[in-house]
Amino acid sequence: MTDAKTLAYINMYAILGTLENLCQLDSEAAALIADRKPITIGLEVKDGPSATITFKNGKCRMDQGVSDCDIKLPFSSCEKFNGMIDGTVTPIPSKGFIHIKFLLSTFTKLTDILTKYMRPSEEDLKDEKFFEISTSLLFYTVSVAISQIANNDEIGKFTADHIVDGDIRFSIKNGPKATIRCKNHHLVTIKQDTDEPRAIMEFGSMELAHQLFDGKVNAIAKIGEGAITMHGMINMLDNMNRLLDRVSLYLA
Amino acid sequence: MANTKINTYDKSREYFNRATKVIPSGVYGHLGPAEGNFIPVSAWPFFSEKAKGTYFWDVDGNKFIDYMCAYGPNILGYCDPDVDKAALEQVKLGNCTTSPSYKMVELAELMVDTVASADWAFFAKNGNDTTQLAIMAARNATHRKKIIFVNGFYHGVSAVVQKIDYPGILPEDVANNLYVDWNDFDALEKLVEENDGEIAAFISTPYLHGNYADNELPADGYWQKVRKLCTEKGIVLIVDDVRAGFRLDLAGSDHYFGFEADLICFCKAIANGWNISCLCGKEFLKDAVSALSYTGSYWMSAVPFAAAIANINKMKALNLPAILNEKGTKLCNGLKATAKENGFDLVVSGAPSLFYLRIANDDTLLLHQAWIAECVKRGIFFAGHHNHFINYSLSDEDINHTLEIADEAFKIVRKEHPEAF
Repeated sequence: MTDAKTLAYINMYAILGTLENLCQLDSEAAALIADRKPITIGLEVKDGPSATITFKNGKCRMDQGVSDCDIKLPFSSCEKFNGMIDGTVTPIPSKGFIHIKFLLSTFTKLTDILTKYMRPSEEDLKDEKFFEISTSLLFYTVSVAISQIANNDEIGKFTADHIVDGDIRFSIKNGPKATIRCKNHHLVTIKQDTDEPRAIMEFGSMELAHQLFDGKVNAIAKIGEGAITMHGMINMLDNMNRLLDRVSLYLA
Repeated sequence: MANTKINTYDKSREYFNRATKVIPSGVYGHLGPAEGNFIPVSAWPFFSEKAKGTYFWDVDGNKFIDYMCAYGPNILGYCDPDVDKAALEQVKLGNCTTSPSYKMVELAELMVDTVASADWAFFAKNGNDTTQLAIMAARNATHRKKIIFVNGFYHGVSAVVQKIDYPGILPEDVANNLYVDWNDFDALEKLVEENDGEIAAFISTPYLHGNYADNELPADGYWQKVRKLCTEKGIVLIVDDVRAGFRLDLAGSDHYFGFEADLICFCKAIANGWNISCLCGKEFLKDAVSALSYTGSYWMSAVPFAAAIANINKMKALNLPAILNEKGTKLCNGLKATAKENGFDLVVSGAPSLFYLRIANDDTLLLHQAWIAECVKRGIFFAGHHNHFINYSLSDEDINHTLEIADEAFKIVRKEHPEAF
């Protein structure tokens, strides 16, 4: 029901891509990259995704593709790359051995912090600030995964074929917002609001969003209660909900 | 602006909160609030108390002129005295019995006499029972696997008529499904050529009444060309008349559009709300249906048979489709004129007795949703993005009241969305 290639795209852009937001939201992560020399890591997966992560001026940014980078991590297959995310494969740089310390120390610490937020303990979630960051990071991960599934997963592509052009505003009330942009049945997630949404779906609170991501509440019932609101081109949201169903399969 | 009562739904919400604890989704399926037709959900009631004629009352006591008609079954009016009398008399005689009631034979004969393309009738409970049966019968008759569907279709809930991206559906469930756009005969012909000798059936509603989009009538000659192609290629032509059946033509919507289906599916309006569905077909497919293992515990219950006989006879006596068309036309013309007076571009599509509404001023449907919600809050039960249904009990007074409320709702939406004008 899932495939390694789509999972690799999700791992690259939705999981590792969330490092961008982690470095904005978590002070420990921000401190790790503050005041350091700019450095770039290129991740290149054969027959799969590639991206460059740049740490510069206390910020983290991911761009698609690898051109020039300080450290290059090649992966011979999507399965190998997914193994790195799972912790079962140790990547070997093909370039940038002199920066290996950053990879083994700073980068590893960042991914450890990200894991703490993405797979939080019940105890950690009792802390209000932690809860808010965890929910926001999960939101961004889910938002990006929606587009990756639409563009790569065979069933997701069938769904995307039924989505009309335009922006979907996907948001949590008093929390993060994202834009799912559809053009010619290709989806792109932009981790900020849109001025001209054709469709809107909003979770009523951070608490509700977290419960939905955890699968602890029923989304259909919450729509009935009005805790999840939908407006505009409902068929866009109907199809996005089908993609969300598949997000839970890949991120389980 | 008129001092119209605005509905509140406290009891509906109380029931819904109770429902979500013991029923998946609270109210599941097409009657539920999560189907995308109730936007915002706060404008709609969720549970009813009673119904009569063209009205229903919700559990909070709000009265509605109901343009959804239980999504089609209510064609004469809720609790029609003639239909319900026949049903209640049959209750006293027996309903679900070991040997089926002779009423089944009488109804089958009536269906064959009424539906132009019918040589036989097979009864079940829901529309889905008949679409599934039609597909199985076509495969059995042709010994072929593939079925052609029209994009935007809805033919029920069996795995074979769902889509690959629906929860619980396996790619294998829909592996033999092919898709073509509505009214695109050239594409259909090409698809048939590409799958020559492999296609068991082409299934379609008589016109495209998919949701979230304007309804589309068949192009001139479309059905006649489809009929000819199916005959030449040995493809069973299935018409899903579950939604439109009896509102366009008592002889079947295929008859209305000037062709004959091989199999035609009915449900909704067949018994004015009593639970029954029916597949009718051509003689050459009778044996293919006979061979199937296909039945259900309540499929031969007598009460719905009695109700259906009374309902069909009454519809015939009234020449009902013409009346529904007249009422629908009056309402739709009134709505369009009221919209225009208020600066709205209201697009009405489909047949007048099954009209579909869309405000086309913006491409987001936000204005449309706002207007529909304002109508519902004032007792006019519309759905956001589904075709509506006309029933016989709808009076001129009801239509006029609907137009008054529609006018009020247009004015409110215009005032609240000045940026759109």
